[in-house]
Amino acid sequence: MKAADGFDVIVVGAGHAGCEAAAAASAMGLRTCLVTIHLETIAQMSCNPAVGGLAKGHLVREIDALGGLMGLLADETGIQFRLLNRSRGGAVQAPRAQCDKAAYRLAMKYKLERMPNLTVFQGIVAKVLVTRGAARGVETLDGTRIEGKAVILTPGTFLNGTIHIGLRNYPAGRANEPPSVDLAEQLKKLGMRVFRLKTGTPMRLDRDTIDWSSFTPQPGDAEPVPFSYRTSGHLQNKVICYLGYTNAATHAVVRRNLDKSPLYGGKIKGIGPRYCPSIEDKVVKFPQRTRHQFFLEPEGLETTEIYINGMSSSLPYDVQREILGTIPGLDKAKIMRPAYGIEYDAVSPTELLATLETKKIRRLYLAGQINGTSGYEEAAAQGLMAGINAALSIRKKAPFVLRRDEAYIGVLIDDLVTTGVEEPYRLFTSRAEYRLLLRIDNADRRLMEYGWELGLVPKNTWKEYQEKRDRVESAFSFLRKNRLKSAAGDSVTLFEHLKKPEIGLRSVLEYGKFPGALSDEECRHIESETKYEGYIKKQEREIAKSVRSDSMKIPVNVDFSKVSGLTREAIEKFEEKRPATLGEARKIPGMTPAAVQNLSLYLEIQAKREVSRARVSRGT
Amino acid sequence: MLEDTIIAISTPPGFGGLGIVRISGKKALAVAGHIFQPKKRSKKSFPARRPVFGTIRDPERETALDEAFLTYFKAPRSYTREDVVELSSHGSPAVLEGILRLGTGAGARLAQPGEFTLRAYLNGRLDMLQAEAVNDLIRSVSLTQARISSRQLGGSLSRRIFRLRGKLIALLSRVEAGLEFPEEKLRTGAPADRRTIDSLAAEVERLVAGYEAGRALRDGLTLAITGRTNVGKSTLFNALLEEDRAIVTPYPGTTRDFLREKLVIDDLVFHLVDMAGLGKPAHPVEKTGIARGQKIARDADGLLVVLDASRKESGEDERLVRKYRAKKMLLVFNKSDLPGKIDRRMVRELAGGSPSIDVSALKGRNIDKLREAIRGHFAPGPAKEEDVILHARQKDLLQAILEALGRAAGLLAKGHSVELYAEEIRSCLPLVGELTGQVRIGEVIDDIFGRFCVGK
Ligand SMILES: Cc1cc2nc3c(=O)[nH]c(=O)nc-3n(C[C@H](O)[C@H](O)[C@H](O)COP(=O)(O)OP(=O)(O)OC[C@H]3O[C@@H](n4cnc5c(N)ncnc54)[C@H](O)[C@@H]3O)c2cc1C
Ligand SMILES: Nc1nc2c(ncn2[C@@H]2O[C@H](COP(=O)(O)OP(=O)(O)OP(=O)(O)O)[C@@H](O)[C@H]2O)c(=O)[nH]1
Ligand SMILES: [Mg+2]
Repeated sequence: MKAADGFDVIVVGAGHAGCEAAAAASAMGLRTCLVTIHLETIAQMSCNPAVGGLAKGHLVREIDALGGLMGLLADETGIQFRLLNRSRGGAVQAPRAQCDKAAYRLAMKYKLERMPNLTVFQGIVAKVLVTRGAARGVETLDGTRIEGKAVILTPGTFLNGTIHIGLRNYPAGRANEPPSVDLAEQLKKLGMRVFRLKTGTPMRLDRDTIDWSSFTPQPGDAEPVPFSYRTSGHLQNKVICYLGYTNAATHAVVRRNLDKSPLYGGKIKGIGPRYCPSIEDKVVKFPQRTRHQFFLEPEGLETTEIYINGMSSSLPYDVQREILGTIPGLDKAKIMRPAYGIEYDAVSPTELLATLETKKIRRLYLAGQINGTSGYEEAAAQGLMAGINAALSIRKKAPFVLRRDEAYIGVLIDDLVTTGVEEPYRLFTSRAEYRLLLRIDNADRRLMEYGWELGLVPKNTWKEYQEKRDRVESAFSFLRKNRLKSAAGDSVTLFEHLKKPEIGLRSVLEYGKFPGALSDEECRHIESETKYEGYIKKQEREIAKSVRSDSMKIPVNVDFSKVSGLTREAIEKFEEKRPATLGEARKIPGMTPAAVQNLSLYLEIQAKREVSRARVSRGT
Repeated sequence: MLEDTIIAISTPPGFGGLGIVRISGKKALAVAGHIFQPKKRSKKSFPARRPVFGTIRDPERETALDEAFLTYFKAPRSYTREDVVELSSHGSPAVLEGILRLGTGAGARLAQPGEFTLRAYLNGRLDMLQAEAVNDLIRSVSLTQARISSRQLGGSLSRRIFRLRGKLIALLSRVEAGLEFPEEKLRTGAPADRRTIDSLAAEVERLVAGYEAGRALRDGLTLAITGRTNVGKSTLFNALLEEDRAIVTPYPGTTRDFLREKLVIDDLVFHLVDMAGLGKPAHPVEKTGIARGQKIARDADGLLVVLDASRKESGEDERLVRKYRAKKMLLVFNKSDLPGKIDRRMVRELAGGSPSIDVSALKGRNIDKLREAIRGHFAPGPAKEEDVILHARQKDLLQAILEALGRAAGLLAKGHSVELYAEEIRSCLPLVGELTGQVRIGEVIDDIFGRFCVGK
């Protein structure tokens, strides 16, 4: 298949990574083709019906500030909203929304179908076409060839996917969807390091067969906080989630049936995520616990399906029923979809550059679950960055890479490509060195200008951002100018006063009679900036310092064996990873500080020699 | 790396007659100028390569630490090819460490081991032939090495630091779990965090305190012989050293300046100082001598207070003993070959129960016993040896951890939000990392999943 004169970017897989990648590339003006197995499952949430949470909500804000879609659509299709950690400081607050899964899928499909430059096409990609070390297109199972200048692979859990329920298993990419086998085999042939991971999902229950009085309601926030800077109007909570607990009888059933678990029975070899433990894992690893909590979450407004968050399992169907039987309120619940586990291939992300382009094949980009991550938000963030970088590369422009101190997206991708993964990777706020700087309330400050320059942020959003920035600045100068007399008689600026932990901005502004009006969002931003001021300044100084040292370039032709004082092991690691900068060298797993110091020493000396040689040759 | 100004003691550890502190970097002269006061106040600038006499002063407290010579080596004609200032003073470790402290206070940073040589190398002062040697040096003085030597000496030090590391990770994992998983009702929270922070801080404090004991083992302890004139201090000094080092005469006021000599008892090094006796000075020189002596006695790690047992105790004796009762001291009743007049019990009580011994320095009686008593009374006990911290750098790291924990406790007490004091605890990881090898955040995350059942 060909567009009038070929495509620029071809995206394989319309999951959360693929949708963002395709949307970004086409919004940047490139002719883009999005090929996916089923048009009905575009942007399918394979597991829980929710977006956001700690670190993940941060990612969504960042995606949004760069002009991505996830935040906007989660707001549009959200049915319950919560801001987590409300009682704590701004850096660790993050939004989370329950979404109507079907509505989310449709909203994304609607959006993509109407994007100029974007063709959405149904097909199973069997092969990436590679000529002279560069990706030039793809071929589907039925032989259709789609040609382009760059290929982004986002096949999620589909590569050599195997579903496990009890000791039975069968090939599938997701429940009742075909796996991608040919593509997986081709990646291995191209020399990519492929490894096996696993994950799982809980059962879906029929709402009308649950005794809801047995569970504790968990309502949404009174004042929902949106993900997106583009969402206007009030968000509405339309459903309530419920909290419940397992009990000793539940655990006994699990224990008695462990021999039927593919994991404990040794059938599953892939490594699972520890932060999404199955009920089997919970019972085995924490035997002293007498109960485990779970949440009952509606999958949407038009369906009676209820997702039971915390009950992921790959035990056989009849054991799943037995488990539910031990929990008052669920004892009569009907399972509409059984829980299952899935094993799949992932490509080691150390095969990638920071742009998510593979090191081995030019113009081939990988994003999402294929890179060993897990989670919709992690996938979307990578998809966006891969889409942007493919477009920039075709346009022959400098790549777009975010630093760890600029964005969680930077932390995520840097962790992936420099450290690699051993188990499914999930983002945590603690992975960021500069957590106090990477907040939801300043994602626009940090990133929107990039989004605007890349052509992804709409004009009116950019204008609104600038107005907001001005309002915030005027509030800051107001706080710094005006003073307040304390009980002791000494006077402090309102800014200093606001630093106290128990003081909120609204009361301070009221006291000082601030003429303007600020949104809650703007208040949160000002409070964070004020309360964290000392730390922010200190961290910014540290960043400036480490940027200088880490950015020291390692020439591509450097002979590591010439660096004196390196162990054989260190030389081999350097040869293998060929770090481009001292910062990358430092991050090689198992690398000792002494080795990096020796390298840095060597480079400094070489640089000095270059200079003196240059001087000599110029005859000075 | 070459941007900041570094400072270090460059003479070998111990009680040399002379000690040199070296400062290198752009701000070397500024730092030195801050803590050094030339004798001739008119001197505003320092000529290159010409020693200038003056005093080391604490700019904040306006007190003089010691007399010293300052020599300025202008870049590039210096060891490191940067601006270098050398301050040479008396070799007492206390004085030298004091200069370091003032220097770091004035903006210099403690040099990493081997860093002067490293700079000399980087600035092209050393040629390539020496590269290997320098490399070896840098590696050999790494913390691993320090860890090994501390293991040899203290045994359990590295174990204790590793335990500290473990506890810090556990604390952080609890704090972080509470932040990352707000929907799990984890039993985390400020009161428990507070207790853990406090107990960790106490532990670090003990380790820091052990630095002094460590220094004693490494550099030796200073013992000052003090007492009135003519009680036989110099005779005792000679007797302990088994050589006629100090001049002895029957006349009071014989010793005017001080003398130091190394005295080794078993495996322990003491630096024995003989000095002017206390009494009415008959000569201005004596007066200076007495003043100096008092300062030495004040700074010393321990005192041998010599009393003439053949005479009745005088008001002077009593004042002396009372003045130093807070210091670690051993009472030496000398001239016990003569009929005794002194009230031993009374003096002992005045001294706050310090041990005492009868000797005759002249006849050499009981001198062996005195040596044993010195070893027994002044040597750091085995309990302290466990706490030994060998290097000022390690102490600095622990000190920084202690400060961060202090700030964390402060934030917590004032009711600041968790992520703020978490930040302080997180800042300890690289510091602990320098002591024990890198701590990756992954380790904390691992700990979270080992400890809490979290996730959906
Ligand atoms: C059973 C299960 C349980 C999960 N549990 C969790 C969990 O507990 N927590 C969590 O964070 N995440 C979980 N996930 C993962 C989460 O769904 C993914 O992280 C996220 O969806 C990844 O996004 P993606 O875009 O990389 O891939 P996906 O969302 O999987 O999308 C892949 C897309 O690629 C298409 N595709 C695949 N191969 C081809 C091909 N050859 N040609 C054309 N199109 C192709 C597919 O049709 C699909 O549309 C789970 C996933 C599954 C399946
Ligand atoms: N009988 C007797 N005489 C001693 C003894 N020790 C010292 N003397 C004498 O006491 C006199 C003073 O001895 P010094 O050692 O010079 O005393 P000092 O305390 O150093 O005196 P100053 O330096 O003047 O303070 C000398 O004549 C010694 O011989 C002792 O144990 N027994
Ligand atoms: Mg004398």
